[in-house]
Amino acid sequence: MNLVDFSSDAFIAAFFLYCFAFGFYVIAIFGKKFSNRDPIKHQKRWGRVAFIVSSAGLAAHLTFFFTRWAGSGQIPTSNMYEFMTFLGMAIMIAFTIIYAIYRKPALGMFALPLTVIIVAYASVFPQEVQPLIPALNSIWLKVHVTTAALGEAFFAVAFAAGLMYLLRVVDFNDKSKAARRSQFWIEFTLYTIIILIGFIIAVFAFRGAGYEAQFNQEHIIIDNKGVESTKVETVDYTLPPIFMPYNSQTVSMDSFLGMQEPLLEAPSWMNGVNAGRKLNTVVWSIIAGTLLYGLLRLVFRKPLGAVIHPALDGIDPDDLDEISYRAVAIGFPIFTLGALIFAMIWAEIAWGRFWGWDPKEVWALITWLFYSAYLHFRLSRGWQGLRSSWLAVIGFVIVLFTLVGVNLIIAGLHSYAGV
Amino acid sequence: MPLVENTKCECGHQNAVGTVLCEHCGKPLQAQELQSNEPLEMRYDGVARRSQKVNPNWIDRVWNFFSSVKIAIYLIILTFLSAMLGTVYPQENSFVNVTDFAKYYEENYGALGLIYYRLGLSHTYESWWFIGLLVMIGTSLVICSLDRVLPLYRALNKQQIRKHLQFILRQKTVYKGMISGDTEDWSKQFGDALKKKGYRVHRDGTALLAEKNRFSRWGPYINHIGLILFLLAILARSLPGFQMDEYITIADGDTVQIEGTNYFVKNEKFTIEFYKDEELPDKLKGTARAKLFETKAVLYECTLNCNDPLKEPVLEELKTHDIIVNAPLKYKDLKLFQYDFNLTPRLNAVHPVIINKETGETFGPFDLPMKDSALKHEVGPYTLELIENYMEFSIDANGDPVSLSRDPNAPAFVFHVRGPGLAENGEPYIYFPMQKDKEIFQQDRLNGKLASKLEISVNGMDNVNFSEASTYLNVRMDKALKYVWIGAFFSMLGLLMGSYWQHRRIWIRIDEGELSLGSHTNKNWYGMRSDVAWALAKAGITVDPKSLDNGGNKA
Repeated sequence: MNLVDFSSDAFIAAFFLYCFAFGFYVIAIFGKKFSNRDPIKHQKRWGRVAFIVSSAGLAAHLTFFFTRWAGSGQIPTSNMYEFMTFLGMAIMIAFTIIYAIYRKPALGMFALPLTVIIVAYASVFPQEVQPLIPALNSIWLKVHVTTAALGEAFFAVAFAAGLMYLLRVVDFNDKSKAARRSQFWIEFTLYTIIILIGFIIAVFAFRGAGYEAQFNQEHIIIDNKGVESTKVETVDYTLPPIFMPYNSQTVSMDSFLGMQEPLLEAPSWMNGVNAGRKLNTVVWSIIAGTLLYGLLRLVFRKPLGAVIHPALDGIDPDDLDEISYRAVAIGFPIFTLGALIFAMIWAEIAWGRFWGWDPKEVWALITWLFYSAYLHFRLSRGWQGLRSSWLAVIGFVIVLFTLVGVNLIIAGLHSYAGV
Repeated sequence: MPLVENTKCECGHQNAVGTVLCEHCGKPLQAQELQSNEPLEMRYDGVARRSQKVNPNWIDRVWNFFSSVKIAIYLIILTFLSAMLGTVYPQENSFVNVTDFAKYYEENYGALGLIYYRLGLSHTYESWWFIGLLVMIGTSLVICSLDRVLPLYRALNKQQIRKHLQFILRQKTVYKGMISGDTEDWSKQFGDALKKKGYRVHRDGTALLAEKNRFSRWGPYINHIGLILFLLAILARSLPGFQMDEYITIADGDTVQIEGTNYFVKNEKFTIEFYKDEELPDKLKGTARAKLFETKAVLYECTLNCNDPLKEPVLEELKTHDIIVNAPLKYKDLKLFQYDFNLTPRLNAVHPVIINKETGETFGPFDLPMKDSALKHEVGPYTLELIENYMEFSIDANGDPVSLSRDPNAPAFVFHVRGPGLAENGEPYIYFPMQKDKEIFQQDRLNGKLASKLEISVNGMDNVNFSEASTYLNVRMDKALKYVWIGAFFSMLGLLMGSYWQHRRIWIRIDEGELSLGSHTNKNWYGMRSDVAWALAKAGITVDPKSLDNGGNKA
C-alpha cells in the first residue's frame, strides 16, 4: 500500500472521528438535562471525551495531510478537493486553539458539524493527485494557501460562535417585528447550511446510482490575432440535467423519473469553467436541501432555530460574543498575511504584478475590507452582541463566496482551482 | 449653543474642551456621565480629540469629517461594494485584442453588458470615483490616526496612580471588598503577584497602577502608517517613469532590444515539457498537461551604437538566467517573466547550392539569411544580385507580389542572376526556400525558361537553420515596489502588535480597609478578568473571574 492510499484511509478515519466528536459534544450539552446527574460534572466529563475524540480526528487529518504530501511529493492544496480538506483541517486547528482558551464544549457543537460539512463537500471533487502545472510550482503555493486558509478558518470559528450567539439570544416566542426578522434570518442561515448538506447528499446519491449524461458544448474562441474559431468540449454530468450547458448538444443521457431531455439551458453570461454543470448542481442542491429542510420541519414541528435554542440555555451570550470577536481578531492578521501579502508576493513573482484586480484577488480584498469594517464597528457603541454576530455570519458567507463562488460563476486566473 | 463648559476638574486639573474623563484623576466631567452608573466610555482614555474644537472653521470641518470612525467605516463599505460591482463582468484590461468595448460588452453580455460598460463599471478600478474612494480612505487613515494618537500618547504618558473612586468602580472589570490587616502590605503583595504576570507596577501609598503591553496600543497606528505608505506607493505608480509593462517576442537564437531601454535580451532556447502518461492519474492520461515552460535567456546592456540601425550595437553581457514561471530574470529594477510561447518553427537561414542543370555541376553552398541578406552573392561562376526579398509572399488582388507580414512565414527572394549560359545582362530568378511555397506558388513556372538552365536548392536539413519556437516575455519595471513591501510590512507589524497583545491596566485604592479595584483592557476581557482573579487569589481573595464582570462588557 502506498502512502497516498494510506492517507485516504486516514482521511476517512478523521471524518468518522469528527462525526463521533460532534455526537459527544451534543451529549455534553443536551445531556445536562438528563435526570439523575449533576449537569456541571456531566458537561465537564463529556466535554473532555468530545475534545479528546475531536483532537484524535485532527491528528488523523494531519496524518492524512502529511502522508499525502510525502506520497505525492507536492503539498496537497493544489485543487478543490485538497484545498477544501485543508480548510476543514484549518478550522479544526482554529477550533482547537479557541477551545484551549475558552473551554466551551458548546462551541464544538457548532464547529464540528461545520468541519464535517466542509470535509464532506471536499469529497465531492475528484480525489486523485494531479501533477502541478507550472504556474503552481512554487514555494508560495505552500505559504500562501495555508496561511490564507488558516485565517479563513478563524473566521469560520467566529461564524460558529456568532451563529450560536444569535440562536442563544433571539427569543423564538417573541412576536414583535424585530424579533420576527431575526427569527427569519436565522432560519434562512440554517436553511442555507442545509442546502449545502443537500448538495452533498444529491451528489453522493446520484454517484451511488451511477447516473451519467454527456453533452458537447461549443465555445467560440477569439485568438490573439482576432480570428474566431469554435472549440467543442465534452461535458459530463453526474446529476440529471435540469440545466444543460449553454450552446450544447446532448450526446447521451440516462433517463431520470421519465425525464429524457434536459429541461433548460444555462444562460450565456455564466463564464466559469463548466458553468452549466455547476448551475445544474446548485439547482439540485436547492431541491435536495429544501426536501431535507421540509423533512426536519415535519419531524420537529417548529423552526430549527427554536429547536436548537434551548440547548444553549446555560451559556453566557457575552462569552459567545467575546469568542466570536476574539476569533476574528486572531484570524484577521493571519488572513491579511496569507490572502493579501503572501498573495501579492507570489503574484509579483509569477505574473510580474503584485495586484491585477483578478476576481479572486478582488474578493480577497472585499473579505479583508469587510472584516476591517467589523473591527472598526466593534469600537462603536451598540455594535457588539447581536449586530456583530450578524456581521460574523455575513463575513463567513463572503469568505465562502471568495473560496467557492468566485470559481463557480466568475472566470479568472484562479479558475484552475475549480472543478 | 451651550455655555462654554467648565473643564476644570475638582482635583485641580485643567482639561481641554471635549474631555470626557479628567486626564489627571479620571473623574467623569460631563454632568450626564456623572449621574449614570453605567461603565465608563474608556476610548482613548476619555481625552479630547483634536476634532472636538469649539468653533470649527472650514479646515476643522474637513478635519472633523475625516476624523470620524463612522465615516471611515462608510468609506470602507462603499469601497468593497464598488469592488464587488467590478467583478460582475470581466474588466476591460482582461481582453487583449478588443478595440470596440461598447460592441464587445453588448455582444457578449447583452443589454446589461452595455449598461455596465456605459456606467464605466467595465473599468471600475481605474475610474476616478474608485481611485477617489481610495484617496479618501487614505485621508481618513491619516486624519483619524493623528486625531487620536497624539492625545492618547499624552494621556498614557503621564498617568496618575491614584484615581477617582468613580473612575475605578465604573470600569468594566471591578472588585470591591474589605481588606483585613495592613492595607499597605496587601497592596504590595498584590503588586508583586502582578509583576509575575509581566505587569509594571506603580504604587502611591495604598493606591496602585499595574500596566502591561502598552505598546500594543500603537499597533493600529503603525498599521495605518503602513497602509498609508502602501496607498502612496500605489498612487506613485501612476506617475510616468515609475513602471514599465511591455511584452516582447523572441525566436530561439534571436536577440531583441527592450524598447525604451538599452537592454537587449537573447533567447538561447525555449523549452516546453509535458507530463508523461505514467506521471498522470488515470483521468488525465493522454492529455497534454504542461510541466515546464523555460526560456534560456541572456540579458545584455548596449554600450555603443545602441539606436543606430546602420551599425551593429556593442553588447555587454549582464546576466544569464533560465526563466520559468515563478522564476523571472531579475536585474536591478528590471524583471523578465515567462508569459506565453509560440511553437511555430521559424526559418532563419538556408545554405543553398546553385546547380547548373546543363552540365550537372554544383556550386556553393552560400549563406542566405531570411532577414538582412547580403545584396550580392558570388557563387562559383555565378553572381546573384538581390532585387526583392519577401517575408510572407503573396499575390494581391491586382496580381502583384506583396509581403503579408514581417515574419518569414513564406519567404521569397528575387535575384538577378549572371553567369555561364545566361543572358549578358543577367536574368531574374525567384527562389522560395520552403518546399511548400515552391509548390504553392509554382516556382518553376514563374522562372520560365531559366528553370531548365539552373536551380537554387538546399541539400539536406543540415543546410537549414531554423528556430523551433518563440518565447513571449513580459518585461516589467516597478520602482514603487519596494515602498509597497515596506508599507505591507509595517501594516502587518501593526496588526500583529494590536491583535496578539492587549493593553491591560489595573487600578486599586484602599480607603479605610475597603478595596476598590478596576481594570481596563482594549480587547479580550476574558483574559483581563482571569489576570485579576489570579492576582487576587495570590493575595488571599478567591473570586470567580466571571463575577468581576461589571456588565457593559462590550468593547
